[in-house]
Amino acid sequence: MPNILDVESLNVEFNINGTYYPAVHDVSFHINPGETVGLVGESGCGKSVTSLALVRLLPKSARVNGEVLYEGRNLLTLADGEMRKIRGDGIGMIFQEPMTSLNPVYKIGAQISETLLLHRDISAKEAFAQSVDMLKKVGIPRPEEIMDEHPHQLSGGMRQRVMIAIAMACNPHLLIADEPTTALDVTIQAQILELMREISNEFGTSILLITHDLGVVAEMCHRVVVMYAGQIVEQGTVDDLFFNPQHPYTRGLLNAIPKIDARSKQRLQPIEGNVPSLTRMPKGCRFSPRCPHVMDQCKVQSPELFEVENIHFSRCWMNEKKEI
Amino acid sequence: MLKYMVRRVLEAIPTLLGVTVISFIMIHIVPGSPVRILLGNHYTLERAAVLSKELGLNKPLWMQYFIWLGNLLRGNFGFSYVYNKPVAHLVLQALPHTLIIVVASILVAHLFAVFLGSVQAYYQDSMFDQVATVINYLFYSMPSFWLGVLLIIVFSIDLHWLPSGGIVSSQIANPGFGDWLRHLILPVCSLFMISVAGWARYMRSSMRESLLQDYVRTARMKGANEFRVVFVHALRNSILPLITLFGLSLPALLAGALFIEEIFNYPGMGLLYWNAVNSRDYPIIMGITVFLGIVTVLGNLVADILYGIVDPRIQYR
Repeated sequence: MPNILDVESLNVEFNINGTYYPAVHDVSFHINPGETVGLVGESGCGKSVTSLALVRLLPKSARVNGEVLYEGRNLLTLADGEMRKIRGDGIGMIFQEPMTSLNPVYKIGAQISETLLLHRDISAKEAFAQSVDMLKKVGIPRPEEIMDEHPHQLSGGMRQRVMIAIAMACNPHLLIADEPTTALDVTIQAQILELMREISNEFGTSILLITHDLGVVAEMCHRVVVMYAGQIVEQGTVDDLFFNPQHPYTRGLLNAIPKIDARSKQRLQPIEGNVPSLTRMPKGCRFSPRCPHVMDQCKVQSPELFEVENIHFSRCWMNEKKEI
Repeated sequence: MLKYMVRRVLEAIPTLLGVTVISFIMIHIVPGSPVRILLGNHYTLERAAVLSKELGLNKPLWMQYFIWLGNLLRGNFGFSYVYNKPVAHLVLQALPHTLIIVVASILVAHLFAVFLGSVQAYYQDSMFDQVATVINYLFYSMPSFWLGVLLIIVFSIDLHWLPSGGIVSSQIANPGFGDWLRHLILPVCSLFMISVAGWARYMRSSMRESLLQDYVRTARMKGANEFRVVFVHALRNSILPLITLFGLSLPALLAGALFIEEIFNYPGMGLLYWNAVNSRDYPIIMGITVFLGIVTVLGNLVADILYGIVDPRIQYR
């Protein structure tokens, strides 16, 4: 059985005043059927750009190359019409902002049915019935009534459920969730995550979960890809990452999580500095200006992804296997 | 909803009264008296005094106003000095002609502006967008009466394609629908081309903003094609500012029709108004002013109601 998604050396560059700057550099990862993979990193490190590049929804100023194999087909070379057949049918996507992701002037029912009508040869009546079922599945009370309401009449959590219903309407094989719970409050967050997990189990959907919240990762994911400044810096199973983090950036992220059991006066340890901007990438290792373990080599030469152990990789010179 | 409409109409009454007071004062300030114009060569002081008394023009201004207002409230718009017919009758006779010009140009202009603005926004900063923007500016800065004269010179005098004025051809015994339609083309064009220019610019910026919204990305993610994204998802959101403009443009277009009807010798309300101003026919001037005031209020009310139909977030209280 082929992988659901195989991303091979994906590069995204943005045209800023006539010059192309790399926003995503040489990103490769894969997703197995039924697997949930987390894509983690601070804001501005290329997570969302990566996810939008997969489904070709980046603005025209972006230049994308590499390979994105969805069930063996390269999405980056498909005709526009073929790509549209995959969007909404094979791949569903939900976004960070449930408040603005639904069209304010159309009824919920019309917005869910639309996906079905675009991809399935069914009547409006059937689409309506299936939409009601979908709303039931995502845990919306009184689905028949909600079908007839407009987005502004629903709360943020309800709207995100509707977004999930839209994304899942055609039962896609891959669901891309770009910070799906960031805009929601904590209790709703937990409900939405629980819902996504149920859906993944019930339909066997693979999920690419983009988040900056390591708590969410621990709860949801099988494997994790950590991104920093447009590159993958560490990749491995959830256990690898939480119990044996290799890259100083991953360790930094873990240290920045508040721990409830910690002795009271222990302070959080933020990572000093900021993610470098597109136009000012540091030479050598991109994390070197913020790294507590920086060595001379790091400032000159960019490390590659070294295999730490089976399927656990880290982009740090400290993980280079020295021949003895 | 009904309550809201009634309230809006009631709220408009003081505004309308203010408009009548100001117009009444202004037309009496303008030099030239109807008595002098009506008597023409037969003017003598005695005849003038008799006629003034007959028309009620010898009374103090405030009294004239209240007499006029009193008649208005009883549904009497007064008698035209020149035509010696009821004002209401004259206005109703001229109204259909004006309505056709104005409604046709509003409809054509809106459809065209919405389409042009949307396409411009979608292909923003392309060659097409830039050329369209320049042409838009050209028409936007053109007065409608000037454009009207230009169209007559080109299409009637030089090319002989279209008639230069009137409602139907006087030379033909039984002018049909086609003839009537041909007479409409130039006046409607002079009005609509200028409205299009302004509205297309609003539509362009509104559509540009909509296309950046998250729900547009959602629509693309569902697999909708670009036509659907622009004309189904973004359009209904972008059209809201144009609806407000629709309400505001109604009186402006009626005023524009005043010049256009004069140029094309088209016997609508504009021409009636124009002639009334020239002969100081006060009752007609006031009658049409009241009518325009009512149209303005109704135009805004219609715009508000349309707004609520297009945008479900609007509630009427």
